[in-house]
Amino acid sequence: MHELGLSRNIVSIVRENAGDKPVSRVKLAIGPLACVETKALEFCWEIVTQDSPLDGAKLEIVEAEADTFLIKEFELEEVA
Amino acid sequence: MCGTCGCSDPANEVKMVDPETGQETLLRNGSLLHEKHDHDDHDHHGHDHHHSHEGDDKPHVHGPNGEIISLEQAVLSKNDQIAERNRGWFEGRGVLALNLVSSPGAGKTTLLERTIREIGGQRQVYVIEGDQMTSNDAERVRAAGARAIQINTGAGCHLEADMISDAVKQLDPEPGSVVLIENVGNLVCPSMFDLGEKMKVAVISTTEGEDKPLKYPHMFRASEVVLINKMDIAEVVEFDEAQCRSNIAEVNPKAKVISVSAKTGVNFVDWLEVLKDN
Repeated sequence: MHELGLSRNIVSIVRENAGDKPVSRVKLAIGPLACVETKALEFCWEIVTQDSPLDGAKLEIVEAEADTFLIKEFELEEVA
Repeated sequence: MCGTCGCSDPANEVKMVDPETGQETLLRNGSLLHEKHDHDDHDHHGHDHHHSHEGDDKPHVHGPNGEIISLEQAVLSKNDQIAERNRGWFEGRGVLALNLVSSPGAGKTTLLERTIREIGGQRQVYVIEGDQMTSNDAERVRAAGARAIQINTGAGCHLEADMISDAVKQLDPEPGSVVLIENVGNLVCPSMFDLGEKMKVAVISTTEGEDKPLKYPHMFRASEVVLINKMDIAEVVEFDEAQCRSNIAEVNPKAKVISVSAKTGVNFVDWLEVLKDN
């Protein structure tokens, strides 16, 4: 179950770049050789983001080549 | 190149100078130095948002609200950074660090015990033991005559680079020594996490079935050396060595494969040779 640790890594990297601003979406690129089970990652996502500025953020996953495992981008929540 | 400070300007070279001979060696020609200084500190930036340079992982932030921020950052980049630091530390001291991976029960610890005994006084051996619980393995290794540090990963299924960094600080291996890292028994996750080792050594045993390299190709692909252990009981368990070797070759044609027995010492010379050559 290393997906739990990986989700934590993702949250910490995004928070480092977003500060305390709320985040609405995170886009990842995952390749078939990355050894990442997307279902497991999605399962962990909700738990790991709870009570953080990423709470409720949508996890978007796009297919990529080889062992790619990147955070492509994230979207800050629109504050009216 | 950086348009604001010219830090990757071709003129910005990194040189090594030997004061004794006066000989200059060019180490680096610009471009890779971005990590060395912080761009945010440049007061000649005329605008208040950062511009990322192509190829580096700096974010490109445009505004606060509803904006999309491009990161393109590898999820494991933090681990990889620490791993590279470890690698540099090992290289600087001429320390050979190997990351031993296998499924539980392949005989890694027995292999370490014999390695420590057979290498004798030739080269100092240090061991970093990774297990979820207990320090049994570190005790065994210590009894065999090596200084050992045990890392218990708890719920974790693998060792990560920062754990090695901490363990190495404790061990403080002497220059020219060998650091053997026994990863958590698991053929899946440890393949993803670089620890800063010179290479991974996969251990498979004759009781596991010849098709393991096909079932867990990532690990065997990531390893430069594969040890087939428990050859002393190969016949009893009807182990087909040729088949196993061909399966390893299928996922990793470059792997050096050595069939050994950590119990009886068969072909151990070849394994010790690997330690000597690196």
